[in-house]
Amino acid sequence: MPSKRKSAAGQAIAELDDLHFKLARGQRLLQRLKDDEVKIATADKEVVFREDKTTLYRYKPTAPRRTVDVPVLVAYGQVGRYTMTDLQEDRSLLRNLLALGVDVYAVDWGSPTRGDRWLTFEDYVDVYLADCVEHICRAHDVPAINLLGICEGGVFSLCFAALYPARVKNLILTITPVDFHQDQAEGRPGHGFINLWTRSLTDEDIEQLIEAHGNLPGELMSHVFSQMTPGATMSKYNVGLLDTFDDEKKLLNFLRMEKWLADRPHHPGEAAKQLLINLYKNNELVRGEFRLGDRRVDLGAVTAPILNVYAKDDHIIPPKTTQALKGLVGTRDYTEIGLDGGHVGVFVSGKSQGVLGKGIVDWLRGR
Amino acid sequence: MSEQTTVSGMNNWFARPLAMWHAFMHAASIRGSEAGDAGPRTSAVEEQFEEMRETWLASMAKWAEFAQDPLHGKVPTPDELREMFSPASWTAPGKGALDAALKGFLEGPRYATLFDFDRKLLELQQGTLQLDREVAAYQAVMQKAWTLAFERFAKAITAGAGDGTWTWRALTNQWLATANETLIEVQRSDDFLQAQRRMLRAASDRRLQERRVAEAWCEATHVPTRSEVDELQRQVVELRRELRLLKRALQTSPHDTPTNTDARTARASALRARPGAKRSRA
Repeated sequence: MPSKRKSAAGQAIAELDDLHFKLARGQRLLQRLKDDEVKIATADKEVVFREDKTTLYRYKPTAPRRTVDVPVLVAYGQVGRYTMTDLQEDRSLLRNLLALGVDVYAVDWGSPTRGDRWLTFEDYVDVYLADCVEHICRAHDVPAINLLGICEGGVFSLCFAALYPARVKNLILTITPVDFHQDQAEGRPGHGFINLWTRSLTDEDIEQLIEAHGNLPGELMSHVFSQMTPGATMSKYNVGLLDTFDDEKKLLNFLRMEKWLADRPHHPGEAAKQLLINLYKNNELVRGEFRLGDRRVDLGAVTAPILNVYAKDDHIIPPKTTQALKGLVGTRDYTEIGLDGGHVGVFVSGKSQGVLGKGIVDWLRGR
Repeated sequence: MSEQTTVSGMNNWFARPLAMWHAFMHAASIRGSEAGDAGPRTSAVEEQFEEMRETWLASMAKWAEFAQDPLHGKVPTPDELREMFSPASWTAPGKGALDAALKGFLEGPRYATLFDFDRKLLELQQGTLQLDREVAAYQAVMQKAWTLAFERFAKAITAGAGDGTWTWRALTNQWLATANETLIEVQRSDDFLQAQRRMLRAASDRRLQERRVAEAWCEATHVPTRSEVDELQRQVVELRRELRLLKRALQTSPHDTPTNTDARTARASALRARPGAKRSRA
């Protein structure tokens, strides 16, 4: 017997009842949950090297046998923390790589304070990243490693590969900006706000900002990111949270993302100036004018095979800014993969799990 | 009211009290009194009093003439006079008398040993007012954006009212989509970008003005300042940088290749060749 269609009043009452019930269920879930239960970056690992605030982790293997001979070092950037790559058990690039038989290392740049304001790109590439690479090379008795850079970490990795080509066996870049002026190339209104925003600032504005705070405050970058998706920002703590009340796993995933988002380290001041002025504003990397100390970063000197992964709906690093790498590097072994999803979504969304990790490992196996 | 009328009115303002003083002093004068007009001065005290009266009259005339001078330069117009006495201009940041006074002091001559801390405090005050102005300007841009978003939302609701029913969820989704699209569009406008830039710059400038005040206090109370600590940290970072690179240049690795050895040696040589470079003893 078909159900009777409700009147408008009946429908309204039913909806209101559903809403109240959802709210009550959510309240009960939230009351039960403690912050200690919301853990991220829990894959088993050990500290193998430290230098100042930089920490190098080696992850405990989970696969019965190794499928890629040379270890992979995952280098995140300084806008956010590497823990996003291991958000939770079923949303973790690192765990996916481990399960596929890869020996995984990850570098954590730490939490810069005012004392770190004078650190530059050169310090991160020539010293911290280079020393992590040296440690892995010595530990495994290999001349070169597989380097996987993410976002600004991809820029570090690219610079490292250009300056120390002998130390990089294969280079994997994910959501990495190369040409910072290609943000409007696809004409998508919601894309490339950071590029527009930095181009609207004068060099002096940026220098005053850094002088006033010492570093580029993590809170400021959080605010800029929030601005990029106004609808999502407005609805996150009401409608967004409400949508998770039906499913405890969904709620925990939401809370884990919140934990990662809240952990927004400051960006060391001098390095931030290089990022915003030399790269975002002046686009020196793609023009071959970006310098680390007295050396020019020549992308043509990158001779390692490259896998360049981008997210098709990435509003923070629009695809064209990443794809620009193709004609600039010295290697002929260049592969691009465009994945469905956004900037962080390619790492943490349910749909993308396994896709990125498998794509990387399949590519590495042939090299 | 014309400027000429204003000037003559102001002149009367000074001339009339002056005439009153003349009359008063004449009436109070021994010479001026009925009894004293025809008679000679009677004593030294009276003579001195008479001198004081004349000196006072001359001084009054001189000051009256001096006070009239500015009237022939910038004469406040009736609108400016109205604004001067308007309470609104005292409370809002803008072209009020307080801002003018601040500006006048801060742009005026500086003295070697006077008013330095006061100047810093007033610069901070000016910075705060500037920040308030820029925040208000930014909020004005955002207000327009929200108004536009609401107009679009209202149109969408009216246009899309198929069977006349909207669930709360559909309404919410429609509002979020409309607001998202509108705000993203506004973010790309020059008005928004410039308003945000100015607001950010005003905030940075104010923070640095705060620091200058704090450092003035620190110096007076024998406390290291932010700038001094920053400078110290900079020297430490540069020294460590040099030390690391020199150490690396001296180390050998089994995996040294011509590429990276040459690079390290070249950098180490460049460091050693720099004027003032210290030799590493590590």
